[in-house]
Amino acid sequence: MVESPVKAKNVVPKKFVGISSLIIFSVLLVCWIAGFASRLFAVIRFESIIHEFDPWFNYRATAYMVQHGFYQFLNWFDERAWYPLGRIVGGTVYPGLMITSGGIHWFLHLLNIPVHIRDICVFLAPIFSGLTAISTYLLTKELWSPGAGLFAASFIAIVPGYISRSVAGSYDNEGIAIFALQFTYYLWVKSVKTGSIFWAASAALSYFYMVSAWGGYVFIINLIPLHVFVLLIMNRYSHRLFTSYTTFYILGLIFSMQIPFVGFQPIRTSEHMAASGVFVLLIAVALLKHLQTILTKQEFKKLFILGALAAAGLVFLTVVGLTMAGFIAPWSGRFYSLWDTGYAKIHIPIIASVSEHQPTTWFSFFFDLHILVCTFPVGLWYTIKKINDERVFVVLYAISAVYFAGVMVRLMLTLTPVVCILAGVAFSCLLEVFLKEDQPATAQKEEVETEEPEKEKKLYDKAGKIKPRKHESAKTENKGLGSNIKSMVVIAILMLLMMFAVHCTWVTSNAYSSPSIVLAFYNQGDGTRNILDDFREAYYWLSQNTADDARVMSWWDYGYQIAGMANRTTLVDNNTWNNSHIALVGKAMSSTEDKAYDIMTSLDVDYVLVIFGGVIGYSGDDINKFLWMVRIAEGEHPKDIRESDYFTERGEFRVDSEGAPALLNCLMYKLSYYRFGELKLDYRGPAGFDRTRNAVIGNKDFDLTYLEEAYTSEHWLVRIYRVKKPDEFNRPSLKPTKRALSDYATKKVSKRRKGVIKNRPVVVKGKRSTKAN
Amino acid sequence: MRKLSIILFLVYLINSIVCNSIDNEVENKNVDRTIDITSQLVKISYKITLDHKSKKPINNYVFVAPIDDCNNLSFISARDANKKEIKLTQSKTLTECSYSMTLSAGSLPTIYIETVYAKVLQPYPTEIVQGDRQLIRYFGNAYFYSPYKTLAQKTIVHLASKSVESFTQLKPSSQSDTQISYGPYENIAPNSKYEIVIHYENNTPFMTITRLERTIEVSHWGNVAVEETIDIIHSGALLKGSFSRYDYQKDSRSGPASIKSYKTILPASASGVYYRDTNGNISTSAMRVLKDSVELDLRPRFPLFGGWRTHYTIGYNVPSFEYLFHKGENYMLKMRVIDHVFDDMVVDELITKVILPEGCKNIKLIAPYAVDRMTDTLHYTYLDITGRPVITFRKTNLVENHINDFNVKYQFSRIMMLQEPLLVVVFLYLFFLLVIIWMRLDFSIIKDREQHVHKD
Repeated sequence: MVESPVKAKNVVPKKFVGISSLIIFSVLLVCWIAGFASRLFAVIRFESIIHEFDPWFNYRATAYMVQHGFYQFLNWFDERAWYPLGRIVGGTVYPGLMITSGGIHWFLHLLNIPVHIRDICVFLAPIFSGLTAISTYLLTKELWSPGAGLFAASFIAIVPGYISRSVAGSYDNEGIAIFALQFTYYLWVKSVKTGSIFWAASAALSYFYMVSAWGGYVFIINLIPLHVFVLLIMNRYSHRLFTSYTTFYILGLIFSMQIPFVGFQPIRTSEHMAASGVFVLLIAVALLKHLQTILTKQEFKKLFILGALAAAGLVFLTVVGLTMAGFIAPWSGRFYSLWDTGYAKIHIPIIASVSEHQPTTWFSFFFDLHILVCTFPVGLWYTIKKINDERVFVVLYAISAVYFAGVMVRLMLTLTPVVCILAGVAFSCLLEVFLKEDQPATAQKEEVETEEPEKEKKLYDKAGKIKPRKHESAKTENKGLGSNIKSMVVIAILMLLMMFAVHCTWVTSNAYSSPSIVLAFYNQGDGTRNILDDFREAYYWLSQNTADDARVMSWWDYGYQIAGMANRTTLVDNNTWNNSHIALVGKAMSSTEDKAYDIMTSLDVDYVLVIFGGVIGYSGDDINKFLWMVRIAEGEHPKDIRESDYFTERGEFRVDSEGAPALLNCLMYKLSYYRFGELKLDYRGPAGFDRTRNAVIGNKDFDLTYLEEAYTSEHWLVRIYRVKKPDEFNRPSLKPTKRALSDYATKKVSKRRKGVIKNRPVVVKGKRSTKAN
Repeated sequence: MRKLSIILFLVYLINSIVCNSIDNEVENKNVDRTIDITSQLVKISYKITLDHKSKKPINNYVFVAPIDDCNNLSFISARDANKKEIKLTQSKTLTECSYSMTLSAGSLPTIYIETVYAKVLQPYPTEIVQGDRQLIRYFGNAYFYSPYKTLAQKTIVHLASKSVESFTQLKPSSQSDTQISYGPYENIAPNSKYEIVIHYENNTPFMTITRLERTIEVSHWGNVAVEETIDIIHSGALLKGSFSRYDYQKDSRSGPASIKSYKTILPASASGVYYRDTNGNISTSAMRVLKDSVELDLRPRFPLFGGWRTHYTIGYNVPSFEYLFHKGENYMLKMRVIDHVFDDMVVDELITKVILPEGCKNIKLIAPYAVDRMTDTLHYTYLDITGRPVITFRKTNLVENHINDFNVKYQFSRIMMLQEPLLVVVFLYLFFLLVIIWMRLDFSIIKDREQHVHKD
C-alpha cells in the first residue's frame, strides 16, 4: 500500500493522465480499505459493539434521535441523567455526529436496507477515516504535490494517533471531526489560493459541519485568523486573502451560531475574539492599501501611524471593556489549562482527573506516530524553505498542533493529520531526489507536467511567485549521486515505511482495539481466550431486575454506560457539567456509611454501583480512582472531607491494616470489600487478598447497615448495592450492656417535659443513639 | 338486567344440554391416574376403562375439568385403545369445562387422556432467601373428577424429590421414595372431590416465558431465517433479601432454586446461530451439534433467582429445502409454530410471524390448533419495492406438547425471483450512465477554468 504512491510518481508522462488518475483513485481506494480494515480488530475479536464511555452517550442520543425524530431530539430533556437536575441534551451536545449517523440510517432505510443504528454507529468512524484520507490527500496536493498527497493519505489511513480515536465502535465526535477539520483546511487553502468566494463559502460550510461535530472547532477559528494575521505581518496581503477570509469569517460566524450548544459564544467568548480581531484588522489593512493607492507617501505614513495606534488602542479597549462588563466571557478553565499545565491540577481537579487530559509523554509521540515524528520536521523544513501563502498555513498548523499535543494527550489527535501531511511532503521530496536519475527524462517531464496547470492558472490569478524555484532546486539537487547510493536509500526508505506499517498494525491491534467494556484474557496454560463480560452482565441485570425509575449512584465514569446499557437514572455522568453534584457523590463515597446514608436518601438513591477489580486484578477500579473522589469532594466540602485523612501518617495510600482509618471505614471501601475478607482467591494465599493492590485488606469483618448487596457480577468487577428504605434496615444489634440505656428513654421524655436545660446529658445521649442508628 | 337473565337462562340451558348428554348408564370401571409434578408443570395422565351397565356400546364420553383447573389447562389429548387420537369438542360453563369425545363403535372401551397444567404449582413460602430450598404446594383432587360413577381408581403422584413436608392423607395412601399413592378407592359417586395438598421440595427450574416472538423469514434463494425474542421470568419462590456472590461461588449447591443455564434444542440443520440481547452478544453459551439436533447450552448473563427476569434474542438459519416444498407455482412452508426453548417450558404468549417473499399470492395458513390470526402486514427489507407479506398469529398458554407444525400455502411465480438482481443491474447501469453524461457536460461559465476543475 505504501509503495503504490511511488509508482504514481514514476508514471506521469502527459499522455498518461488517465493512468495517473487511475493510480490516484486506486491508491485512495486502497487507503480507504486499509484504513477501514485496520480499525476492525475489535469487531473481529469481540463483536460489533460501542466502546468505552462517551460513545455510549452518543449512541444513546443517536438512538433517541432515530426513534423520535430530529426536532424531538433538539428538545430532548433527559430526566435519566443528573438526577434530580436532568440534562437538556439538545442544547448541550454537538449534534453533528448524531445527525450524520441518523442521516445514514434514514437514507439506508429509505432504500429498505434494514441496518441497525448500532452498526452504523460502530462503523461510522472507520468509514470516515477513508474520507479523512481523501481530504488529507486533497489538502497535501494543494500544499505540495499529488505524490506527497498520496503519501499523506496512506499515512493518515493507518497512523495510530488517529486510529486511537476512530476504531470501529469508538463512536465519538473526533471520528468525524478530523475529517471535517482536514476538509475545512483544504477548502480554506484552496480559497486562499484562488481567492474565489465559492471556495471560501464551501470552507465556511465545512466549518459549519465541524462546529456541529466537535468542540475542537475552536482550533480552526483560531488557526485560520492566525494564518491571515501572519500573512499580513509577512506583507503577503492580497485581494484573494481579503475575499476568502471575509467571506469565510462572516459565513462561518453565522453558521456556527446556528448550533444550539454554541449559540452566542462566537461573539461573546474570548476564545473566538482572535477571529473577529483579525477580521477588523484585515479590513483596516485593506483600507490602508486602498488609501495607499490614493494618497502620497508622506500623508500615508502619518495616517498609517496614527490610524494604527488609534485602531489598536480602540480594539484593545473594547475587548477589555466588554470582558469587564461581562459581555465577553473570559477564557474557560479548560482553555487555561492549555496554557498552564498546572492550572487544572490546582483549580479544577475534575479536568485533571481524566487521564486523557494529562500532558503527553515523549514515549507516546513515538508510539502514536512512529517514523512520522522523525520525518515531520523534514517536511516542515521543506515547506519553510519553499514558503508561499498556503504553506505558511501548514507551518502554523504544525507549530500550534505540536504545542497542544504536548500539553494534552488528547490533542495528539490534532497533531496527527499535520504530521502526516508534512511527512508525506518529506517522503515525497526524498523519493523525488533519489528516484529521479533512474529515468531522468520522464522525471523531468513529470516536473514540467505538474507545473503546467499552475502556470496556466497564474495567468488568471496572478498567484504565487515562488513556484518555479522548486523546479530549479529539484534539478540542481539531482546531480552527483551514484545509482548504488540511490537504490540503497530507496530501499532504506521502503524498509522504514514497511516498519511503519507493521508498527501501526501492531499498535492498533494491541493498544487501541479494546472495547473496554468487554475484557479478554488468555489462559496461561492452554492459551485459550476467556472473556470477562462483567460490565454488561451487571448493567443488564440492572436493566432487567430493577424498577424502571430506579436511581443508581456511581462514580461519574460509569454514568453514560449505566444510562446506555442499563437504561437507568444516574446521578452524575461523563458530561461533567456540575462539579458540586459530582462532589456530593464523591462525598457520599468517601464518608462513613451512616453519613453517606443521609446524602443518599436526600438524593433518592436506590442503588449504588461500584467497580471493584481486586478479584481479577483490574487496575481501573474505583478504589484506585478513589483519591480523585476525595479531592473533588474536598473542593466543595472542605469541612467534611480532607484528603490527608485518607493517607497514612507516612503519606501512603494503602488499603491494608496500616491504612488510614478514614479510608478503611468509608463507604467506597466497604462497598468494594464487602465480604471480600472471607474470599480466598487461591489455596495458599490468605483470605481477602486484593490482587490489584497486592495487599491483604485491612478491614475484613464488617457488615452493612444501610445497604444490602443486590448483585455482584461473576468476577466481582461490578458490585451493586440496594439502599434500604428507612423502615427496613436492621438496626445494629446492641450489646446487652448498651441495651440498658434504652431504659432511660422514659426518663429522657420526662426530662424534656419538664423543660429543664437539657444541655449536656441529652446531647451526649443523642449522639450515641444516632451513632447506633 | 333482562339481557343478563336471558344470558343466564341460556347458560343454564346449555349446561343442562351438556349434562343431559351424559349417559348415566356409563361407568368408569377402572381409572389409573398418574400425576407428574416433578417439574414446574402438572402432567396428569389417565387410563380409563369404561363399562356400560346395560352392556350397550358407548358412543360418547365426557371428560370434565373444574373451572379452576380449566383456566390453567394448557394441553389435553385423548387416545383410544389403539393409541389413535380422538377428537375432542370443548364446551365451557360457569363451573366447569368439559371435553366430549365420540368413540368409534368397534373400539375397546379404554381411553388414554393426557393433560398438562401450567402454573398450578404454588411456591410456599412465596419468598425464600438465597440458600433456601424451594418448597412447592400442589392442590389436587384425591378422586378422579368425573360426571360418571367410578368403580375403582388409583392415583400415583410422582414428586421431584424425596423430601416432602406434608401431604394430605386419605386412606389408603402412602409415600415411598419419590412417589405418593392414593387409593385404590372404590365406588366413588360422580363429581366427588376431596382436596389434597402436597407440600414438597421442587428445585427444578420454574421459568415462564412471558412472551416469545418467533419470526420466520423465508427466502426462495434457499434459506429460512428464524429469530426468537424471548422474555423469561423465574416464576418460582421470590428471592428475599440480598444476593451474595460470595455464597454463590463458595458452594455450588447454594441457590438451589436459581437457574444458571438451560438447554435449547434447535433443528439439526441450524447454522449461523446467534444469542444476544440489547447489549450485544452474550458470550456465555456453548453449542453442540448432535446427530439429530443442535443443542445450545444457554447461560443468561446472570443466574436467575425468583422474580428475576431476562430478555434475549436467539436466531439461526436453516436450509429451505427441508421446510419449503413446491409444485409449479404452488408453495407450501411447513414449520413449527413454536420450538423448544427449555424442557417443560411454559409460554404465556406466543407471537409467530412468517415473512414470505415479495410477490406471494393466495396465502393460506393451516394451524395445528386454534390460533388467533392477526392482521397481515408488510415488511420491507433489502431490495423490496412492494414489501413482503407477513402472516402473524398469536396463542397464549403453551407448553412443550404444542410443538407442532403449521402449513402456509401460497402461490409465487418463479419469474419474480429475477426482480431483485435486475434491480441491482438497472441501478448500476443508470448510475454509470449518469456518470458518463456528467463527465461530458460542461457547467462552467468560463471555458478555460473547466479544464482546471477537471484536473482536481
